[in-house]
Amino acid sequence: MSQGIVTPQTQALAEGKLTRDELKALMQRSDGPALRHLALWVLVLAGTTTLITLAWNSWLIWPAMFLQGIVLVHHFSLQHECVHYTVFRTRKLNNIIGQICGFIIMLPHRFFRYEHCDHHTYTQLDGKDPELIPMPKTYGEYLLYLSAIPYWKTKFTEVSRHAMGRLSDDEKHFIPKEEHAHVFRDARFMLGIYALIFAGMAVTGWWGLIWYWIIPLFLGEPVMRFIRMTEHVGRPTVAKMSENTRSNLVSAPWRFLCWNMNYHAEHHYVPLVPYHTLPRLHEKLRNHVHVEPRGYIGAHRDIVSQIQEART
Amino acid sequence: MSNKSWRDLIAVDELEKDWVTRVEVGRKTIAIYDTPTGIYASLALCTHGGADLCDGYFDDHVIECPLHQGAFDVRDGQPIAAPATRVMRTLQVRVRGGQVQVRI
Repeated sequence: MSQGIVTPQTQALAEGKLTRDELKALMQRSDGPALRHLALWVLVLAGTTTLITLAWNSWLIWPAMFLQGIVLVHHFSLQHECVHYTVFRTRKLNNIIGQICGFIIMLPHRFFRYEHCDHHTYTQLDGKDPELIPMPKTYGEYLLYLSAIPYWKTKFTEVSRHAMGRLSDDEKHFIPKEEHAHVFRDARFMLGIYALIFAGMAVTGWWGLIWYWIIPLFLGEPVMRFIRMTEHVGRPTVAKMSENTRSNLVSAPWRFLCWNMNYHAEHHYVPLVPYHTLPRLHEKLRNHVHVEPRGYIGAHRDIVSQIQEART
Repeated sequence: MSNKSWRDLIAVDELEKDWVTRVEVGRKTIAIYDTPTGIYASLALCTHGGADLCDGYFDDHVIECPLHQGAFDVRDGQPIAAPATRVMRTLQVRVRGGQVQVRI
């Protein structure tokens, strides 16, 4: 028979961890769950925005902006799901919502899609996985990553490079040639819109978006860095999916914010499964993947203990 | 006129309803699609990353790759969603005597 890449999903089927009928049922898409989720999402955003308004003339604006930031940076989770086309059954909705999320957090959607493809093909393989977060060797490296300073440096460099019509060698590897021009156009469009918004604020003298969007985004990003570390950091840098990825059991509000992406190992097993059926997939695969029952905090305890062990 | 011959692949009754069915023919894997407008077939490997489309998600006339979610219209093999950019090879299909046949 002709041989293709054996996906974790094909492997899970072959090993009997899932039946084809179970998989088919888990993969079914629907617009309903995401539209309801999104409605609640907008309400939460409206709530945190209101808190900033109420706290405008007091020091309480800082915790209010931090809360807003936590919600804003989780647009990454929604965008990530949209990259997989698994939020909505209607394909266009995934692209539209994904683009909006990318605009909020400065992550062009098309570029992220291609980068993320290689993350799934080469998960945790050093030098091949473009999203690999290296295991920190020291507490200093750990804290620096959590500050999100290296993250923003990378993002600003990346978008600027694309706007100037250039790609790094790694990017040339995962972005097909016929898409290069589109990636450049996306970056220019994104920077152009940002410039227009800032020009609009300068002209009107209303700088509110700095307080409702920009500062909260920077305040919140360390939270997203904290969460992103829990997915793979500290797990073995091997191809085996049951080893290289960590699922974290977290409370309902965090699951809401991250669109169930805490079930990360399950997601890597079957990226076609929509976010709303990931908890059911977790029940099927929980004994075949690495699960951290203590959640994000437990994952960081694991990471910190590995840093400590490496130092002694 | 094509010199390829029609080959029986699978009984229509054995197809997965409204889904994709995998059939091995010699060294080739063929994906057979049961769609609202009839039966279609293609080579099973994704033209983007080489994964087996028969384990993908099928909806209406669109097959989505299980690895990166690139998608193709099974009627003509056209890529309709990134990261798929190259056309998927479709095969001529007909039903004769309750058997799905492809020209291969």
